[in-house]
Amino acid sequence: MSHAWVNSVMPHIVLTVGLMVLMLLVAFRRSHALAMTSTFLILVIAGALIPQSLAAGSEEVFGLIRVDGYGQFFSGLFLLAAIVTVLISFRYLDHRASSCEEFYMLILTATLGAMVMAVASHFATLILGLEILSISLYAMICYPQEGRLPLEAATKYLVLSGVASTTMLFGMALIYAASGSLSFSALGQPVDNQGENYYWLGQGMLIVGLAFKLSLVPFHMWTPDVYQGAPAPVTGFIATVSKGAVFAVLLRYAVISDVLSNASIALGISIIAVGSMVVGNLLALLEKNIKRILAFSSIAHAGYLLIALLVVAALDDPEIARETTMVYLAGYFLMTLAAFGVISALSISASDQDTEQLADYQGLFWSHPVLAAVLTAAVLSLAGIPLTMGFIAKFYLFAAGVQGALWVLLWALVIGSAIGIYYYLRIVFTMTQSESTDGSVRATAIPVETIVTVGVLGVAVILFGVYPTPLIELVRGLIGAFGA
Amino acid sequence: MESLFYIAAVTALASTVLVVTGKNASHALIYLIVSLLSVAVIFFLLGAPFAAALEIVVYAGAIVVLFLFVVMMLNLGKGSVARESAWLRPRMWILPCLLTIPLFLGLVYALSGESVQTAASMVGPKTVGTRLFGPYLLAVELAGILLLAALVGSYHLGRRYLSERREEV
Repeated sequence: MSHAWVNSVMPHIVLTVGLMVLMLLVAFRRSHALAMTSTFLILVIAGALIPQSLAAGSEEVFGLIRVDGYGQFFSGLFLLAAIVTVLISFRYLDHRASSCEEFYMLILTATLGAMVMAVASHFATLILGLEILSISLYAMICYPQEGRLPLEAATKYLVLSGVASTTMLFGMALIYAASGSLSFSALGQPVDNQGENYYWLGQGMLIVGLAFKLSLVPFHMWTPDVYQGAPAPVTGFIATVSKGAVFAVLLRYAVISDVLSNASIALGISIIAVGSMVVGNLLALLEKNIKRILAFSSIAHAGYLLIALLVVAALDDPEIARETTMVYLAGYFLMTLAAFGVISALSISASDQDTEQLADYQGLFWSHPVLAAVLTAAVLSLAGIPLTMGFIAKFYLFAAGVQGALWVLLWALVIGSAIGIYYYLRIVFTMTQSESTDGSVRATAIPVETIVTVGVLGVAVILFGVYPTPLIELVRGLIGAFGA
Repeated sequence: MESLFYIAAVTALASTVLVVTGKNASHALIYLIVSLLSVAVIFFLLGAPFAAALEIVVYAGAIVVLFLFVVMMLNLGKGSVARESAWLRPRMWILPCLLTIPLFLGLVYALSGESVQTAASMVGPKTVGTRLFGPYLLAVELAGILLLAALVGSYHLGRRYLSERREEV
């Protein structure tokens, strides 16, 4: 037997070995800059090895994971998000923790967990990846050593995420009891009638657990508090990597196991989707805290994305769903990271809480024009205004929904987006108002690497909005060449 | 055979309810041990004696006892002696003992010489080992990373309170 599979999982191996190297490095010499640089290098090397891992051509590894174009595209996105998080946390953490080196180890483990989820094709790897990600996130959320909010956020996330994982595990146990298999591909219809009830109950519990992690209505209660309490770079990481990984595995699972063929499960997911789109946008209307606004916006976006999932059942063609999800999540990653990058940049020298009140952003266009421009691009993109990445992403969803004839969901998408424009534009409007009297935001000096990082993200949001062809070709190439 | 399963299942449920509702952390942990013991019995009846042994050795034996140590160490202080004597009242230990009696009777029954017919196939340590280090090797490695992440995280969070305590002293 050749060891082609080693090449397939090379990015994961690099991340794991890098983690060990970083740990030894920290043991011998504690230096924030050294830890940050080596983490950056490890992430870049892992990302550079992704094309090679696809070329290795060994798709199924032990029946536990499936390394294909779909999964590795998300792995690349997670690595990108991790690189951005590392770059924007560097100065941010300096002021908030006496030792910052462990944070980078946690970023590496969290990214590894997300990458495992992206390629998981077995319940064991799904739950292990999810737990690696969640456990790293608990500690990352309350990484700052002062302040009550991070601790509160971490406790809430710990308890609710634990409940969600337990629900999922129970669901998996029921599915296993009925079908006798833990591998996605071997899941078939159970034979006897009694087993069938268990089977669908298990599927329902599994989806409820995943909906918790995706913060879909009615499992969204934790989202605003956790987003507000977590340090801004970590919030960006949760909003992108955690959600992206869960959705990537949910779509893969839905396609392989054909769970959506059950009408009541498909109906349940539709109700969750409509609820998330409408409630998420409505709750954001009255918020005055920008992190909470983005939390509600992320609930709505997760709801939009469920359209791509439901297309699988409506069209019986997973290709469209895959392409839509990949394009949408790529856009969502760029714009969310840009928004949280700006918030982190402005919060670098904030004392207790981040710079998160809408009032703090008054006059940003005059004090920090670059940051204001990037935040405007990100927010307009989240709203789905043309010439931004968000428009292309939403257009994709809309086209997929029309092909699948999901009219109710499309109406919810339109209404949700219309409500959303109000609060997204309010952020832009606040930034153009005359400056507030207290100059805390203006006084902040923004380090170069943060400006460059968020600047590149902002440019990417606009660039892919004007000229999305390279991204779309990349996505199609990955789906076509390596299957999924 | 089925009666043994039901006894173990009821014991597990009852003791777990007592864990959740218990107000005193040490008492709750003792009920947790009873709960884990009865889950071990269920594993045994399902034909997984190795998993049952691990459940007792690792969970009941190592992890919960470690919890107990930590809880008792944290409770050290003025009232600890009074609490210690309060714990020795029958009211405190009679219920865990009553709960373990069915498990003990089950053990006696199982050892009484009659061959206990458990599940159709037995999963021995060797089978578990070859599976874990064969097809599930990746999962074992991932579980290692999971524990490492938890270790790094708890180290960092624990230090938060260590430094606070040092400042107080």
